Amino acid sequence: MKDKIESILSEVKNKIASAASESELQNVKSAYVGKQGSLSLLMKELPKLEPEKRPEMGKLLNQAKNEVTELIDAKRMELKLKASEVSPDFDCSVPGILPSGGRLHPITQMCYDLNDAFRSMGFEIFQEDDITSELYAFDKLNFPPNHPARESMDTYWLEGHDSGSTNEKLCLRPHLTGGSVRYMQTHKPPYRFVYPGRVYRNETTDAHHERAFFQYEALIVDKDITFTSGKVMINSILSKVFGTDVPVRMRSGFFPFVEPGFEIDMQCQVCGGKGCSVCKHVGWIEVMPGGSPHPNVLRAAGLDPDEYTGFYVNIGLDRLVMMRYGVDDVRLFHSADLRFLKQFR
Amino acid sequence: MKLSLSWIKDFVQIPEDLDLKKLAYDLTMSTVEVEDVEDLARRFDHMVVGVIEKIEPHPNADKLRVCKTDIGNGEIKDIVCGGINLREGMRVAVSCPGAVVRWHGEGEPVVIKNSKLRGVESFGMICASSEIGLGDLFPAAEEAEILDLSAFDVPAGTPLADALDMNDVLLEIDNKSMTNRPDLWGHYGIAREIAALYGLPLKEIKPYAADVQSDFHVDIADPDRCTRYIGVEMSGVAVKPSPYQMQNRIWKAGMRPINALVDITNYVMLATGNPTHAFDADNITDHIVVRHAAEGEKLVLLNDQELTLCPDDLVITDSEGPVALAGVMGGSKDSILPKTTRVILEVANFESTGIRRTALRYDTRTEASSRYEKAVDPERCDQALALSMQYFKELYPELTVTGFCDNYVKKLEKAQIDVSLAWLAKRLGKDLTNEEIQNKLELLGFEVQIDGDNMHVTAPTWRSTGDISIKDDVMEEVARMYGYDNFEATPFTTAFTGAINQKDQDLLRGIKEYLAFRCGMQEVYTYPWMNDVYVNAVLQSTEGVLRLSTPPAPDLSYIRSSLLPNLCEAVAKNERYFSDFSIFEEAQVFFDRNYTAPYDETELLPEQKRHIGAAFASSEKDITELFREAKGVLEYMPRYTHMEGFTFRKEEKPVWADHVVWLNIYRGEERIGDMGLLAKKVSMDCGIKNLSVMLFELDTTKLVPLKSRTNKFTHLAEYPETDYDISMLFDSGAVWADIYEAIMGQKKASALVKEASFVDEYRGKQIPAGKKSVTIRLTIGSSEKTLTSQEIESAANQVMKKLGKKLGAELRTQ
Repeated sequence: MKDKIESILSEVKNKIASAASESELQNVKSAYVGKQGSLSLLMKELPKLEPEKRPEMGKLLNQAKNEVTELIDAKRMELKLKASEVSPDFDCSVPGILPSGGRLHPITQMCYDLNDAFRSMGFEIFQEDDITSELYAFDKLNFPPNHPARESMDTYWLEGHDSGSTNEKLCLRPHLTGGSVRYMQTHKPPYRFVYPGRVYRNETTDAHHERAFFQYEALIVDKDITFTSGKVMINSILSKVFGTDVPVRMRSGFFPFVEPGFEIDMQCQVCGGKGCSVCKHVGWIEVMPGGSPHPNVLRAAGLDPDEYTGFYVNIGLDRLVMMRYGVDDVRLFHSADLRFLKQFR
Repeated sequence: MKLSLSWIKDFVQIPEDLDLKKLAYDLTMSTVEVEDVEDLARRFDHMVVGVIEKIEPHPNADKLRVCKTDIGNGEIKDIVCGGINLREGMRVAVSCPGAVVRWHGEGEPVVIKNSKLRGVESFGMICASSEIGLGDLFPAAEEAEILDLSAFDVPAGTPLADALDMNDVLLEIDNKSMTNRPDLWGHYGIAREIAALYGLPLKEIKPYAADVQSDFHVDIADPDRCTRYIGVEMSGVAVKPSPYQMQNRIWKAGMRPINALVDITNYVMLATGNPTHAFDADNITDHIVVRHAAEGEKLVLLNDQELTLCPDDLVITDSEGPVALAGVMGGSKDSILPKTTRVILEVANFESTGIRRTALRYDTRTEASSRYEKAVDPERCDQALALSMQYFKELYPELTVTGFCDNYVKKLEKAQIDVSLAWLAKRLGKDLTNEEIQNKLELLGFEVQIDGDNMHVTAPTWRSTGDISIKDDVMEEVARMYGYDNFEATPFTTAFTGAINQKDQDLLRGIKEYLAFRCGMQEVYTYPWMNDVYVNAVLQSTEGVLRLSTPPAPDLSYIRSSLLPNLCEAVAKNERYFSDFSIFEEAQVFFDRNYTAPYDETELLPEQKRHIGAAFASSEKDITELFREAKGVLEYMPRYTHMEGFTFRKEEKPVWADHVVWLNIYRGEERIGDMGLLAKKVSMDCGIKNLSVMLFELDTTKLVPLKSRTNKFTHLAEYPETDYDISMLFDSGAVWADIYEAIMGQKKASALVKEASFVDEYRGKQIPAGKKSVTIRLTIGSSEKTLTSQEIESAANQVMKKLGKKLGAELRTQ
């Protein structure tokens, strides 16, 4: 009998191991340990044995039945883990469905990236109206009375408001800096704010020139600021926006509302500074003018330039976005062309 | 501005081993932006002087010749050429294979190769001046004229760059980067800056000493407008070409050589930055007076432009009237003519803003006016005079000075500035020694006296015309001489005063992100000006709309009082590519009304607001679906963006809206926006073909952000709630608001109904005329127990009964 049990056991083990489905396994179960199963039938033969052999054989049979049941359970679990609800032909290479959701304009995206970067350094966000007077666009910014930018070729004056004294002449702001004076007039120093906005120039447009474009101004005014502090600010902002340390250089530049003034160039991110058509083969891209607010500008804002000084940069947002994505025509930004805008997710 | 390095070297000895790239870099970093450094000789690579030995007819072409040309080293080459002035023994410019030329001086550059011309092998090309970029230096009388180099006594085979003195480097400087530096507008000025940057000696231009007694004199009527006028009357001159070196340099600086008399004046201007002028002395009656023009006085300029002058114009006159527009352009009357033998040389200084006004008034900006308008230092007249007289004497050894007058009526005061050294150190963020500071400034020509903390600085005259006036200017000079890039970046310290809390800014961003990310809309930007087509179609009135006086185009003069016209234009433009889309814009709008003075009491500004506008366009969705989409975006906006809510009312139809589908948006009793379907007629006027367009516009300045999030926690339902849909027939004109009110209003139809929601409505087949079927989803539940199906049905029946009683609704039987 012992031999019989062992031969059944080895037979059933093979069958369990090769069972490919739960139903096959169920068949194995009923064929061996079910009511009419071969092991169960052996059980019925026990009484026919000699009495002294019965306990040993009974024990062996029970062990065999238990072992088979355990093996079947284990195999069933294994099959469950391997099972799938679908046919093995299921195609996982079909494309996914685009999540519904729109997009912000790429310039808004850049603006928010900058806002987040500056806010993390404790800057406020300032917003001002687009229409301003010559008084704030030029006079208060230390533009000499005959500065070329004052002429209509550069600024959009409003009909019915295009003559008279400078406080009466109204225009679409040609730059943001006049708005900074408004901020300073209405807030108490020290200042730390950014000022994003659209500005307007009456110019001929081409791939690199627009009549409406975006500036992003950042201004710190405090008592003990060296102009080199600004370098730290620019480095941290650019590296945050571009995700990598961007080499920056400061060179001499001139703008009426700053003294000293500089141009800030960043290494061309298209060629990595080697020189390409985007950077006109110099490896550097002019991204922002900057400097310390001119004493006359601080005075216009009601501050004593002997006490206060500051650091200012004016970032060309359009250019930064063009650099980020390799956009080659600035006019696309105002086109409202969805074929263009849909690309910036 | 273009500068010749060899010309700069006339004034400063630049070490031979100085890398030109470094020179350009250093100038860019410290002074002006050098846009290009060009090795000029490269333009003439593979070009040599050739001598035509023999000219033979071309076997296959009447107009072509075959020139046996000596190109040096005993090589005689056949070159096919169609020039009309070819002759044997002529020296010509030969472009050998590899040279780059432009055919007939036009089009893209072409590389010369050996080629066959009408069946005859030709080695390279005998060039016309324009073909090798020398059209301005050697003007050709006719197009087919070959550049004749016979006047250059060099052997055949001499590289063209050597023969024509083109071994030079041209620096191109961005004019915009030097508007504030009048002293740099000339080769001498840049040489002086280079000398300062590298500590090199600068050559002095020795002043001219006149020794002539005569009654020649110049009167100046307004010393503020003309601070100095030097007149030199000379005889024994004649019109002839200037020496080649002078022509060559004038050409390198981007001007054209004319004749010796004119060339001297231009050459001196390019060298010193001080414009000069030569009058034909025989055309000047009596003596020169510099005065304001009389109202209506006439002057014909050298370019034949006839001006009617005004008293703000400064003119050079003789006793008969104006002969030149001071500092801008000479008049035709006094011009140098072929017969000129006597001249009066003008070396003068005019005030900058006056010159600028006049040049702009007559749209005649010239090389002279663009220099004067930057404020030239009157002391520079001495250099200009000295150089002029040197060249006059060189070119006309027989010349006699017959009259001289230096009327220097208003001396320039040198700028005097006191700078605290402690202040300077603080602002620079770096401790430089007094010697370093003094040395940097003295290299630039400043005089420096240090007494304790005070540094007294005297600016040189060439920096005293407005450029240097305050201590910050002095700091800039020290900083740029030290090199901005050589300052280490020091972090700024600042006091912590509190967290940034700008709810209004957060709300605007929240709304934009809600529209884009949650509502699936695309943000667009459009211009502030509107096209008349869309103004007329959408706004239908221009009352209160501001206009530009010089618009980008005649039909773009109105600036927006609403975002909708431009959004309609955007919809029309995108219709070609998309059939279902939604867009929004957030921007400023302007109104010609409610002027206020928020900052300066004299500055009145018009009303300006920020709006959000949106367009939902589709040719796929029906109007109800589109309407509900747009309304849903508005309804859920306050909840998702954490602001105070708004309500919809029907008070006044927006002009652009369909007669039925529109709503006004209210916050409290104030109308803050509209929504609606773009009327078919308006849509057609906008050029929109198949799209239905739902619009809304909101005044964001009227939106009020919540102080903090206000969502309230509700306990989770203890017992299950059931959704139960009912469909009922209503009069076609019944509205959901009334249905909802009947179910959920003050007297609720059943206490067990927790919510009623609109599922859909249907008119058409199986629905009697004048009726509509509305499907309503009731949420039924109790806080005390699990409801039985009988209890649920009974609650629904109560609702249906109430709707029947209140609104005459019937249960839909089919």
